[in-house]
Amino acid sequence: MQRLVRYLGRYRARLAWGIGCLVAATSLTMAVPWLNKQVVDAIAHDAGMRRVAGLVAVIIGVAVVQAVVRTFSRFVIFNVGRDVEFDLRNDLFAHLERLPLAFYQERQTGDLMSRLVNDVNAVRMLLGPGILNFINTPVYYAYGLAIMLSIDWRLTLATLAVYPLTLGIVKRTSRLLMERTLRVQEGLAELSARAQENLAGIHVVKAYACEGREVEDFRERNRRFQVTNMRLAEVRSLIGPVMNVVGGVSTLVVLWMGGTRVMAGTLSVGDIVAFIGYLYLLAWPTMALGWMLSVLQRGRAAMRRLDELFAVEPAIADAPGATAPAEVRGEIAFRDVTFRHGSRGAGAPTLDGVSFTVPAGATVAVVGRTGAGKTTLVQLAVRLFDVDGGAVLLDGRDVRTLPLGWLRRQVGLVPQDPFLFSRTIRENVAFALDGAAAADEAAAERVAWAVEAAGLARDVADMPDGLDTLVGERGVTLSGGQKQRTTLARVIAAAPRVLILDDALSSVDTETERRILERLHGFLRERTTIVVAHRLTTVQDADLIVVLDEGRVVESGDHAALLARGGLYADLFQRQVLEGELEAV
Amino acid sequence: MTATLDEQELGKAYDTALVRRLWTFVRPYRRIFWTALLLSPVNQFCTLVQPVLVKIGLDRYVAMHDAAGLRLVALVFAAAIVGEFASYYWQQYFTMLVAQRSLADLRVATFAHLQRLPMRFYDRTPVGRVVSRVTSDVDVLNEMFAAGAMTILLDGLKLAGIVAFMVAIDWRLALVSLALLPAMVVAVDYFRRMARRTYRQIRERIAHINGYLQEAITGMAVVQLSAREARAYTEFRTLNGAYRDANHLSNKLEAALFSIVEAASTVSVALLLLRGAGLHARGAIELGTIVAFIQYIQQFFVPIRDFSAKYAVMQSAMTAAERIFGLLDLEPEPAPAEPREPAVVHGAIEFDHVWFAYRGEDWVLRDVSFMIAPGEHVALVGATGSGKTTIIKLLSRLYDVQRGAIRVDGVDVRDWDPQQLRRRIAVVLQDVFLFQGTVEQNLTLGDPAIDRARVERAVRQVNAGRFVAALGGYDAPLRERGSNLSTGQRQLLAFARALAHAPSVLVLDEATSSVDPETEALIQDALAKLLEGRTAVVIAHRLSTIEHADRIFVMHKGELRERGTHAELLARGGLYARLYALQYAPAQPVVEVGRGLAG
Repeated sequence: MQRLVRYLGRYRARLAWGIGCLVAATSLTMAVPWLNKQVVDAIAHDAGMRRVAGLVAVIIGVAVVQAVVRTFSRFVIFNVGRDVEFDLRNDLFAHLERLPLAFYQERQTGDLMSRLVNDVNAVRMLLGPGILNFINTPVYYAYGLAIMLSIDWRLTLATLAVYPLTLGIVKRTSRLLMERTLRVQEGLAELSARAQENLAGIHVVKAYACEGREVEDFRERNRRFQVTNMRLAEVRSLIGPVMNVVGGVSTLVVLWMGGTRVMAGTLSVGDIVAFIGYLYLLAWPTMALGWMLSVLQRGRAAMRRLDELFAVEPAIADAPGATAPAEVRGEIAFRDVTFRHGSRGAGAPTLDGVSFTVPAGATVAVVGRTGAGKTTLVQLAVRLFDVDGGAVLLDGRDVRTLPLGWLRRQVGLVPQDPFLFSRTIRENVAFALDGAAAADEAAAERVAWAVEAAGLARDVADMPDGLDTLVGERGVTLSGGQKQRTTLARVIAAAPRVLILDDALSSVDTETERRILERLHGFLRERTTIVVAHRLTTVQDADLIVVLDEGRVVESGDHAALLARGGLYADLFQRQVLEGELEAV
Repeated sequence: MTATLDEQELGKAYDTALVRRLWTFVRPYRRIFWTALLLSPVNQFCTLVQPVLVKIGLDRYVAMHDAAGLRLVALVFAAAIVGEFASYYWQQYFTMLVAQRSLADLRVATFAHLQRLPMRFYDRTPVGRVVSRVTSDVDVLNEMFAAGAMTILLDGLKLAGIVAFMVAIDWRLALVSLALLPAMVVAVDYFRRMARRTYRQIRERIAHINGYLQEAITGMAVVQLSAREARAYTEFRTLNGAYRDANHLSNKLEAALFSIVEAASTVSVALLLLRGAGLHARGAIELGTIVAFIQYIQQFFVPIRDFSAKYAVMQSAMTAAERIFGLLDLEPEPAPAEPREPAVVHGAIEFDHVWFAYRGEDWVLRDVSFMIAPGEHVALVGATGSGKTTIIKLLSRLYDVQRGAIRVDGVDVRDWDPQQLRRRIAVVLQDVFLFQGTVEQNLTLGDPAIDRARVERAVRQVNAGRFVAALGGYDAPLRERGSNLSTGQRQLLAFARALAHAPSVLVLDEATSSVDPETEALIQDALAKLLEGRTAVVIAHRLSTIEHADRIFVMHKGELRERGTHAELLARGGLYARLYALQYAPAQPVVEVGRGLAG
């Protein structure tokens, strides 16, 4: 909640204006029944048309000024709510950008989305309509009570007698409403989950011809959901009628008791008009109060969830005083690196005392079985995770002491799973280029070169809009190989000093892969390259081959030396020769 | 209409064609619907008679100092309040009842339709988008009943009722009271036109934010590795800002509408007072009439003030209805008009020059032909992506072939009733599909022809009796789709299910994941019993399965390259021999490494 006050503070000047106008508008509104009373009394006493016309002119004047001031007050206050919503969502997004990969592996995307969309909206409701009603209600009551009491305090007490009762009913109803709304939301979520499950497994449903049973099951759940919904409807149907009854009962009391007092001569018909007018005006704020209580509760719960998200510390961030070296040679060294996935420290370490050096400009291959720790190892070099023990060094400096953004511009990782954004090929390839430079001609050349070098040029030429073809959600319109080559193009377009290929061409056939690597030869010669590959033919020419197994380096050397050794590498290689023969058939 | 889902929307708040289609779902409950609607005049009378009673009380009794008469009017007034409350409540309740029932039907109809859509639809449509049709879109329609369409309809009736009462009391005052109505109509219409675009923008822009977030969160590592956080933030901020701006605009519109309507109400009362004063001075009306008119005017402007909220609800409802009906209009899986079925099902399978592609001309199967005799056991082998899985999908006609034909017992699968075909062919996949239901329900799949005795026999035959008993018997619920069961146990249940259905053809994708030796022995034994006397097509992962198969089909790059028994094929020294060495041969280290490389 403190955070919320800080956000609101930025708009305090506008908010003060809005609230000032709101109080003014409500004051004007509350003058109207009193003015009406004056007119009716004037009519009753035949005070003459001039007085009536004068009063009517005043009322019209009040109405017009009120309309202007109220319009202003409403949108200013509601807009402040939207502004805070805007700030809050921006800040949450910026916060998310600082959180490391490990965070995203633990959290569900849907949960994070719901916080940035639904929870932020609930907080906004608390601020816009919330502030408006919290200010409005006391103002309405202050004027209404003051004027009514001054006219006839007994009648006031009598007519307001139903209000505490109403407030009680409204409070209870709001609670029921909230509880049952929650249950309906849960029911809807369950139903969604059920449909999700069914549709995700639709091939199985069809293969077993059990559509009928699935529909029956869904129908049954849906029936239960309908019952839950009706339970909510029972309460929801009450709100309108209760509100009308409150108005009706007040009018009844005014008619009967007020009428009796008019007969006694202690009250005028104009007073009755004033009372009916005020009671009418007070009915809504009374109802709104009940509604506001649930808005307040929801808003606070939502804010707690947002606070919780803000409280997650960015575990991987720039060290204080991190400075970038003037020059990069591109030597990468792993020094006794130990790493364990998950913070609990259970199970065997993913990497256990891995040490080797990749000299600047050299090409080193990392091979091993699935699960050997190859991907994790290269992820440490770009700080997607931080080592638990030992260090990764770039030109002799621990990567944790370098500015994060700078490090990632020097070391480009082409990941195993290609991830593309639903934009054009061009935008995807230029993704890592500098914002300012991304639009100019040099950038266009870089993109063209990267597309060519990644062996994507012919594919792009076949696409309807060339480089400006949209790739669809997560690149669904592209084949696996095209996605991988686009990802490769994205990284090489940024021309990092150190290039890491994490099995980056696994979906590309051997021949295409060979051509791509040939084309990249010049580019790679000037740079340090780390290649993680399953296809060993790719890595035969590497300066050094490091064989990982169960998180440890078990062998290293060049191709010939490792073959001669007859260990794990030789086994893997022999297998691939066999597979290659099969493929060639 | 082809099977795709469009996301565009038009922003209409009323569409006759859509409403007519919605009506087909309301129709079964039309009695409740009409009851709710008929309660409206009752409710309105009870509400609108109240100002009249105030007038009578003031003019006839208070002015005449008749206390008894006033008491009588007060009693009638109290009765009107009770009547108003009861009729209003039941009207709301019945409306919700109609809404809930008809929307529940719509939801089931949509779900049932989804079951009939072809696999190709699911291959290219994200599941999340489809799910939201069944759930959130239907929920939006619910909101239309609760806060939109019905109340707009009733509001219209109410306005008419108020006008009628006003004219009946005094037409001159009625005319003055409604003097601002034309201006209001113009204002509301202007608002409607402005709001239409703005509300649509708001919905589109929040959808953009959702889309961007979804992608940014799933691809956050890429954003970070590309050191693009600052630009991503700017992009998000821009989208977020566009959403805020649209909301700012709608806030202005709504604030103006709200305030103008309130002012119009006040001004109308003022004009009424002015005219009323003139008439009263001439003795043409009494004071109570003026009091009654003040109340009518206040009531008259409430629905107009609330119009904006209802308009937004209606607009979203039309969009939602359009999406749901768009889904219902998608062509279901093709089924023959007059299904053919062989008199006796033996289980003969024939692939006749079959060509198949999931997309365009990327052939997954190329000219595949084979015959499998009834009772024959065939093992399919081949590398990943060679087309094995596609063959078993085509057998139960999850897809239609592009060229050639597949025949079961001499009848083209396209001429079979799909349900009948799939009942004859039991498919046991690696990923065993279990429902949230009892053990028995999971085995019978709701087929009433399978009685308890048959279920028990099947369970005993596949050696699952002991573990079913341990689960708590046949009526024990399988929680969370059997997540508490081991892989081996799930396999055994799937075998029991297949056996209970007594299919003519068994299609089996053997599980690759390893189980403990004891369970493995149980599975081996159960498998032998399951295959006995049936035609079987097995994607083999176990050495014993291929050794016992009558014939082995070797798939390679979508073609059927070799066929024969294990011994014949090994002796030939071709593809199979190499595959065998790679995947099945007992040479331990190679196999282990092989699994790693395949992954």
